Amino acid sequence: MTLGIIAIGAGIAALCGAGAALGMGNATGKAVEAIARQPEAAGKINSSLMFGLIMMETCAVYALLVGILIVFILGAKV
Amino acid sequence: MLEVSLYPEHYEVFGVNVGLSVVISWYVLAILLVIILLIHFLVVRRMQIVPKGWQNAIEFMVDGMYRWSAGKVGHAADFVAPVAMTLMAYVFFNTIIELFGLPPATEDINCTFALGLCTFFLVNVTGLKFRGGIRGRLQGLSMPSPIVLPIRILTDLIAPCSIAIRLFANIMVGGIIMQLIYAVAPIILPALVASYFNVLHVGIQTFVLGLLTLVYVSEAIE
Repeated sequence: MTLGIIAIGAGIAALCGAGAALGMGNATGKAVEAIARQPEAAGKINSSLMFGLIMMETCAVYALLVGILIVFILGAKV
Repeated sequence: MLEVSLYPEHYEVFGVNVGLSVVISWYVLAILLVIILLIHFLVVRRMQIVPKGWQNAIEFMVDGMYRWSAGKVGHAADFVAPVAMTLMAYVFFNTIIELFGLPPATEDINCTFALGLCTFFLVNVTGLKFRGGIRGRLQGLSMPSPIVLPIRILTDLIAPCSIAIRLFANIMVGGIIMQLIYAVAPIILPALVASYFNVLHVGIQTFVLGLLTLVYVSEAIE
């Protein structure tokens, strides 16, 4: 029973990935549009895109870390 | 079964309690020192106007780092680039050591938090140096209007934690995924996946740490 609730908690933590994926898709799409409009600014757009993607990826990695800690540290105590 | 722990094992060295990551980073630093001495005596002492061989590679790395930082932080590049390069070399070699069978030092959150503190000091020292003392730094922090000052200070204080947890989580998660793959398919598949999680991933994380350091510095001095 408790293990099941822990698993549900880990699953809820993993939902953060949906938000990160939406943000990444949005940002990449906008960057592609911008590069298509102004190909000479590709370098600057790419570097700011990279920074934004790192931030979003961090969010997803936090969720992954929380999920893993829930499963392995809380789950080991049951 | 999979072992995940936030508290790695500790050793007694001359009566002082040191973590596993510290011992591993000593190994790595010893290897790096030997490499640096070799480079110094074999390459730097015999520099030529027209580079060839190893001098080409080293000039490419150093020059690339200086140009990359100049693109981000402008006139502060001469001050920032060596520190950023040192941090990146530390992270890269301490993580790639996994290929030689040792656990990576960056898998310990204490190690990555120390790296985050290094970045924090670099950001603040550069900010104080290039904005003219504490007054200029505070002016820079309250840039659009003074209302944002507490929020900007909070952002600056959270930056080392963010860097630490990002690096730690990325490396740890890579290790856990590799362990899971070894448990599921012990042959062939790990060889393919390890080339990403043990080699390419390390390069990406090193790049990310350098990029974040430079971006934080550029925010502090602009």
